[in-house]
Amino acid sequence: MYKYVIRRLLLAVPVLLLSSLIVFGLMRVMPGDALIALMGESGNVGERELQKLRKDLGLDRPYHEQYLIWMWQMVSFNPGDSIFTNEPIPVALKKAIPVTLELATLAIILGLIIAIPVGVLSATRQDKPSDYVGRVVAVSGLSLPDFWLGTLVITFAAIWFHWIPPIGYVSIWESPARNLQQFLLPAAVLGFRLSSATMRMTRSTVLEVLREDYVRTARAKGLGGRIVVYKHALKNALIPVVTIVGGQLGTLLAGTVIVETIFALPGMGRLTVEAILFRDYPVVQTNVMLVAGTLVTLNLLVDLSYAWLDPRIRYQ
Amino acid sequence: MPIKNPNGNAVRHQVNRRQFLGRVGWGGVGMTALVAGAGRARASTQVSPYPDWIVASSKPPKRGGAITRASSWDPPVLDPRLTQSIGLYQFAALVTNRLVRYPFADEASGTNDLTLKGDLAESWGASPDHRVWTFKLRQGVKWQNVPPLNGRELVAADIKYCFEAYAKEGVQSFTFREIEAMETPDKSTLRVHLKTPNVLFAHNLAEPVTVIFPREVLEEDGDLKKRLIGTGPYILKEHTRKVRVVLARNPDYWDKGRPYLDEYTILSTPDAATRLAAFRTGQSDILWVASLGEVETVRKTNPAAVVQEYKNVLAPFGLSLAQDRPPFNDVRVRRAISMAVDRQRQVDTLFEGHGIPGWGVPYIYYQDKMPTLAQLGPWWQYRPAEAKKLLAEAGHPNGFETTLFYYEYNPQMTSQVQLVQQDLKKNLNINIKITKLDYTTYYGRYVDLKWDGIAWGFQSGHAVGLDERTYMYMHSKSTKNFFRVNDPVIDELTSKLRQTPERAEQRVLTKKIVDREFDQVLRMWMPFDNGFLMFQPHLRNMAAGALRRSDGYGASTIARLWLDK
Repeated sequence: MYKYVIRRLLLAVPVLLLSSLIVFGLMRVMPGDALIALMGESGNVGERELQKLRKDLGLDRPYHEQYLIWMWQMVSFNPGDSIFTNEPIPVALKKAIPVTLELATLAIILGLIIAIPVGVLSATRQDKPSDYVGRVVAVSGLSLPDFWLGTLVITFAAIWFHWIPPIGYVSIWESPARNLQQFLLPAAVLGFRLSSATMRMTRSTVLEVLREDYVRTARAKGLGGRIVVYKHALKNALIPVVTIVGGQLGTLLAGTVIVETIFALPGMGRLTVEAILFRDYPVVQTNVMLVAGTLVTLNLLVDLSYAWLDPRIRYQ
Repeated sequence: MPIKNPNGNAVRHQVNRRQFLGRVGWGGVGMTALVAGAGRARASTQVSPYPDWIVASSKPPKRGGAITRASSWDPPVLDPRLTQSIGLYQFAALVTNRLVRYPFADEASGTNDLTLKGDLAESWGASPDHRVWTFKLRQGVKWQNVPPLNGRELVAADIKYCFEAYAKEGVQSFTFREIEAMETPDKSTLRVHLKTPNVLFAHNLAEPVTVIFPREVLEEDGDLKKRLIGTGPYILKEHTRKVRVVLARNPDYWDKGRPYLDEYTILSTPDAATRLAAFRTGQSDILWVASLGEVETVRKTNPAAVVQEYKNVLAPFGLSLAQDRPPFNDVRVRRAISMAVDRQRQVDTLFEGHGIPGWGVPYIYYQDKMPTLAQLGPWWQYRPAEAKKLLAEAGHPNGFETTLFYYEYNPQMTSQVQLVQQDLKKNLNINIKITKLDYTTYYGRYVDLKWDGIAWGFQSGHAVGLDERTYMYMHSKSTKNFFRVNDPVIDELTSKLRQTPERAEQRVLTKKIVDREFDQVLRMWMPFDNGFLMFQPHLRNMAAGALRRSDGYGASTIARLWLDK
């Protein structure tokens, strides 16, 4: 197993290198730069002055030099400062990561709380009304975009209950109650969407497992229906579900921008999108590498979890 | 994202109600109907029932309390040399002061009152040729009592240092590079020598972006990106990007007894639907909405909300033609295009009948009443047959192909661009290939002034002065001449305006500039919506002045706001 882990980690190096080249190249291909975004509108800054500022920021160097400098910064864990705000990138990340992590974790938890029981229920009561309801809800979750659901939730909460989550993020350490109020609705919106795919996958894999010989044997031994489903069938049915959830967590780290925007949460999504819009090269590059690294790690963890879920699986 | 809007109006870069309704499509029809049923009332009339000016309260102001505003803007940096972003100036003028300023809501006679008032300057005046300006500073003004200033006295040398720094680099340099030299004969006198006469120099110093910052911070930090300290009514207590800006009352403020509020919090809220929900639920005290329909929607849940109709005195957007090259260097082509665009249809369909047909120089500088479409002259009327004839005379009987690029400043803009495209195709057989760009790409291309075809042009809203709106935007040598105006008559008139001290003569000259602009169709302004400022009923002295919205560049008026609770 250790050999397997080391091999996977070594394979991650070219993946990350390729990611770094792609993000670096794409950012340079995009027209405009952070100085234009910050000062261009005024019409007061001449090209000569912009050139001087670009020189100060090292943006006038050849691309390969800029790339090597950035790579050195990355391996020495010093990604530098935002060229748009001057804020050190680690400081910006330290503020944004906990927000997105909390949102993603809560969304995954809420998604699983909805998806697993509904998926199992749908599978065990196949083609019954409860199955149809579960499937309709799942299809709705897949079809409704976050921006629509989020806007709807916040609008109706304001009209009907004269309440919306408090605006102005506070960390969970500052005020757990206020923080929970701020995260519950956005996490529910995200969780609802996530639960749909998970629920459908749970339903189909449980259905498949319930037809296996060992389940029939368990029933023949006289075990109760619930024990058969939850103890014997569900664990084996979870492998594809874990794969999906692992992928969802990775996607959430960079894909919560709409929900963060609607609920005014200062997470990774908003940080990255703003950096892209304003050509804040170091911030975009660092964020993309962080997400790439997280995805590689999550994929590895998901693969490793298979052996725990199904002891027959061996790593070579 | 906190992206700038050139006029500080109606910024909805994120998904808002209109975009949301537009994007939902068929899948959302049922729920859309529910949303509509829940609160939307569409305006059916062009006449707004709301006043365009709210007079100051006659009651004695009360001290204390706090207000909050959900804002779409976020300051990119705190350095006034580096940005004119409304994100910064929605509070910068509350932390700092200028030498002179425009009147606050409780001093102004109306929305168009542009009388200059002393801010840090107690008095000011110019030499007869308007090349030397002398400013006498107020006595006893102190910097805020925070390190490294620690409440030291403001002196004239501070202003000189600040102006020199502005001139040296950055976005304010145009105004301050006019300065040839400065003297400080004593600690409360600043004498400014200009390179050329400018009767409007003091007005340029009253712009919301010309705030006075301290030398100590610039010297210690090398820039002003992280700390904003001033002499203003509020101390910047907290600035957490994408979260909040908190301003706390400056107890040592030189204008004794003011400000009235203890705290003003600006919450970064990029989504329009969330800002609206925040106002409805009392989390936000101030709201800006673009349409009468939206006002009625909000008033269903908040009937006591106070509404001020904001009548735009200029349009920030228009077609910017590459008029330094064919075919747009031919005035007949420009006139034909202008006559082929149905502006009234845009006002009616996009702005619910509540908008202006479009002009660039604020009308308040040359006439008292808002111009009608008919008053803009013959080339601004919708006359497709005449337009076609004129284009044929110009040698394009079968139209031509061209391009147009734009950045979607507000959700209506895409529809507006498409309406123009449709009009020009239908009436003149001009085929326009449209490119929608993101903000940075748009500016990268727009400000280098090398593009062909058409751009959806803009004029920014950080400055309201006559000089800004005439000389700076239209003189051929100005770096802000984004519309590529190169007209000797305009050059002469705008230069002359800078040397004309009499207000009456200024009005006459400005009218000549505007007439020339309209006649030559030098800038082809497009319709723009008005808007509505809504605030909670307990706020007093909150009215917005022309081009100085109190939730935007006109934020300094919040120094006079108080709560009647």
